Amino acid sequence: MDKISVELTVNRKKYKIKVEPDERLLDTLRERLNFTGVKEGCSIGECGACTVILDGKAVNSCMVYTFQVDSSEVITVKGLEIDGKLDPLQRAFIDYQAVQCGFCTPGMLISARALLNQNPNPNREEIKTAIEGNLCRCTGYKQIIKAIESVVKKDRSE
Amino acid sequence: MKKQSKDVKNRPTSSGRDSKEYFRPKSKKELKEILKNNDILTIIAGGTDLLVSNYQKLYKIDKWLDLDLIDEFKEVKIFDDKIEIGSMVTHDRLVRLEKIKELFPILHSAALDLGSPQIRSRGTIGGNIVTSSPAGDLLPPLLVYDAEVVIISDQEERKVDLNTFFTGPKKNVLKEGEILEKIVIPLKKDKSRGVWKKVGKRKALVISSISLALNIVFDKDNIIKKAKMAIGSAAPVPLRIKSAEEILIGQSLDSIDYIKVAKAAAKQISPIDDIRGTAEYRISVAKNITKSALKEVTK
Ligand SMILES: Cc1cc2nc3c(=O)[nH]c(=O)nc-3n(C[C@H](O)[C@H](O)[C@H](O)COP(=O)(O)OP(=O)(O)OC[C@H]3O[C@@H](n4cnc5c(N)ncnc54)[C@H](O)[C@@H]3O)c2cc1C
Ligand code: FES
Ligand code: FES
Repeated sequence: MDKISVELTVNRKKYKIKVEPDERLLDTLRERLNFTGVKEGCSIGECGACTVILDGKAVNSCMVYTFQVDSSEVITVKGLEIDGKLDPLQRAFIDYQAVQCGFCTPGMLISARALLNQNPNPNREEIKTAIEGNLCRCTGYKQIIKAIESVVKKDRSE
Repeated sequence: MKKQSKDVKNRPTSSGRDSKEYFRPKSKKELKEILKNNDILTIIAGGTDLLVSNYQKLYKIDKWLDLDLIDEFKEVKIFDDKIEIGSMVTHDRLVRLEKIKELFPILHSAALDLGSPQIRSRGTIGGNIVTSSPAGDLLPPLLVYDAEVVIISDQEERKVDLNTFFTGPKKNVLKEGEILEKIVIPLKKDKSRGVWKKVGKRKALVISSISLALNIVFDKDNIIKKAKMAIGSAAPVPLRIKSAEEILIGQSLDSIDYIKVAKAAAKQISPIDDIRGTAEYRISVAKNITKSALKEVTK
């Protein structure tokens, strides 16, 4: 099959690329555009390590072909940092020791960010639901949930 | 195509967006034109089932047909006597639609339970139906709500009762060149009460081990006037459990013989052994799930 032209915005920058018909968004981000913060774990939608925000929603980038996202906007973990300033979630993950091996962290942060963008005041249940598709083998989730909650509380008191 | 990650950069380049092997129609009309002029097309909706099978199986795709830009397929329309849901409506949207929650609570619950947020953002109701997995979570609810599907091809349009749509595990009546356009669910005057139950091994991402949808209409004296029950993951296709429904009709809340209904349900399914559970285990789960669904609906 021929290559397919695709335009997409990644972390607020526009790219015009030609992709293989079977190239996944994950491949494009990691191999073509060098956003290696996006991780590949299971490759079949189960672990969430490859999660990115696509047009406002958390999706598994291993579950999307790049040709499907022409004209879309993608945010990876790298895009959470704006002008050298960490996202409050990133700070909280450090402060609450929510990172051990770190493999799940980029996807976890992205799922949490997608949640907070849609619902700035989630309760614990809503937080748990939001990270349901992100597996963590190290932390047992407690610190992760606490870290996210701390950002919610901070937002509330501001 | 299995190891896409490796040498993506080194592949030969050829022509671009107007590829003859890749179509993204913007309307139903354009879609029909494409169907008319092309034989073998691989239809892609959200891709959450397709990318898994492509990753695992390594087969060649000749031509892509991506339905994502057809706005007509994303519409949800409410009429006096029915509701129409476009095949490209995602699970996430289904969950957020107040009308669905109000009128079809079991469908709402099943969509809410399905996969993970990431899967719900991409996966569609049409993809769930066409995949025709016995474990497809939206299927038992759609069966108890008497859903029909509208199927189109370049020249024809037909309506199929969902009860006759599934012909085996991952098999259905769709023919080459046919597209699922929308789902039609009748709106009934009677007020009903419904329950959705799913038993699985893990909460998130579980492809259900067994699931049950139950919808009951009581008359003014609290006698069961109508009963619809469907079970998923237990037989080669998701199916209505008519024997159990018949037992329920005419009963009052406290006269229901739970054991009898549960036995009827267990008898009608023909469970299969697979990695998600043995047949025997499923029969006992079917009994328990039926009992607990009945208790919940009569609460
Ligand atoms: C990690 C993970 C967890 C999951 N969990 C669940 C779960 O809990 N419950 C559940 O039920 N499912 C689950 N699924 C399966 C899947 O997400 C759903 O079945 C989803 O609804 C499929 O929709 P899609 O749009 O992604 O389909 P696609 O992958 O795009 O398509 C699926 C199939 O249907 C065909 N098709 C799609 N739309 C049409 C149409 N309109 N007309 C004709 N053919 C069409 C395609 O050609 C393809 O063969 C899970 C999947 C993954 C990867
Ligand atoms: S790599 Fe995408 S979900 Fe695991
Ligand atoms: S920190 Fe190791 S997988 Fe989550």
